[in-house]
Amino acid sequence: MTGFITSLGSAAISAYRAAIELWLVYVGTISGIVRGLQRKGARNRGEVWRQLYSIGNRSLLFIVVTLGFIGMVMTYQACLQLGRVTGDYSQVGSQFLRLIVSDFGPTLTGLMLATRVGAGIAAEIGSMKVTEQIDALRMSGVLPIDYLIVPRFVASIVMTLMLSILGGVVMWRAGGLTAEYSFNVNPNTFYDLSFVRFRHVAMFVVKALAYGAAIPVVAGFCGLRARGSSEGVGWATTAAVIGSSFAVIVLDFIISASALFLTGGDL
Amino acid sequence: MIGERFITSIGAGAVRVTQEVGGIFVLTGQVLRALVPPRIDGRELVKNLYKMGNKSVPIVVLTAFFAGALMMLQAGPFVKKFGATALAGWGAGYAVLREIGPILIALMFSGRVGANNTAELSTMTVTEQLDGLRALAIDPIRFLVVPRVIAMMVMLLALTVIGDLVALLGASIIGKLMLGIDWSTLYHSFRDNLKPYDFLHGIYKSVAFGAAIAVSSCYFGVTVRGGAVGVGRAVNAAVVAAAVSIMLIDFFLTYLTG
Repeated sequence: MTGFITSLGSAAISAYRAAIELWLVYVGTISGIVRGLQRKGARNRGEVWRQLYSIGNRSLLFIVVTLGFIGMVMTYQACLQLGRVTGDYSQVGSQFLRLIVSDFGPTLTGLMLATRVGAGIAAEIGSMKVTEQIDALRMSGVLPIDYLIVPRFVASIVMTLMLSILGGVVMWRAGGLTAEYSFNVNPNTFYDLSFVRFRHVAMFVVKALAYGAAIPVVAGFCGLRARGSSEGVGWATTAAVIGSSFAVIVLDFIISASALFLTGGDL
Repeated sequence: MIGERFITSIGAGAVRVTQEVGGIFVLTGQVLRALVPPRIDGRELVKNLYKMGNKSVPIVVLTAFFAGALMMLQAGPFVKKFGATALAGWGAGYAVLREIGPILIALMFSGRVGANNTAELSTMTVTEQLDGLRALAIDPIRFLVVPRVIAMMVMLLALTVIGDLVALLGASIIGKLMLGIDWSTLYHSFRDNLKPYDFLHGIYKSVAFGAAIAVSSCYFGVTVRGGAVGVGRAVNAAVVAAAVSIMLIDFFLTYLTG
């Protein structure tokens, strides 16, 4: 019994310490951006472009494949169920688009990027940490957060929004093709924009920006905490994948619930 | 020529992907062959079942709760607008049991267990422990990979069963607290509209997801090259491969079995 309470307490203390460290990384990133803007950011501009390429362009195929397939599956399941109950497919496309814009587009893209980008950032920063390159940066008077996390943060915010738009469109078109060829739904009734309202688009943008900001901070934090050698890098990468995926799910819940409250249940 | 370089990089990418897919299939074949006289190291299997299953319960329960809550948040306002609250459980429950539940749980499982497994195996590979096993005439596939594959398939199935229940609970709690739908309405909505097959559909998909996560994470673990940097890269490649194969398997199984 005492052992159980001790382990519970030590888990709570380490969670508390980790939360404070995560908060410090976040504050450090924001202040790094402010400092970069004051300096006109000339030093990091090349690095931001490089990160835009490695986070955005190199995730293109991954996002297109995963979201395309999940769009097909979701339409297939929805049509299958509707066919058993009512046989009326006229609402599938417009409701599917409403769901993509208000939730699935940014959230599934965010989850996919949390695995690819989150793991990549943690692996890179983690291996720099265990080979003492981070200490070398500190010794030469460069803040590791400014040099490593700020460019990834900026790039990830921009690219998560872009990839969410791309992913949402791919999902929508893939769903449309499935509905047309498997269930003979007329494309004109499927590609119906009338259910999308401004508040759904606002949710799309807010969610994409929130995920884009959360993933590099969580992953960078996990990378900076890496200890030991190759084992430590492995642990850091694992923690980054779980932490950033979970951050996406929790942020999705918080944003969806507050949108429900702000609009008075009229979504 | 920029065009030439572009085509070269596409070709190199295609060759690399093909090599890795081929490697994963070869490893799958080796695992199946090792199963023919089923001699499995019992202690290693039990250790992995505990480490992969029991230790993942908290993260799976949290994920499943939020998955159910999110589906109810999406379905609830829509059915309320038409005054058909009896259908709220249908929309949320159907989406959770068939797609969102198994997929989200599998993605979290791949992050927690799959990535961890790659990290562990690749650390063993770069510190030459696999060569040590071979020198002692112990087959690393039989001793390390087979128990992990079995443990992941069994445990992802068990975790999905738990997760489905928690997700329906999360959907009910959100439906009651935030949308004001009665417990009894929700219960009847679940009971009348969800069929046993909806549940089974998610469950057998989760077994296939477990196998895919296991084989890809073991493959990237045993083929890693070069120190700490290599380990990070292997974990990254393993989670990406697992995510892609989860989506592909989901698509084909849904099409084939409905």
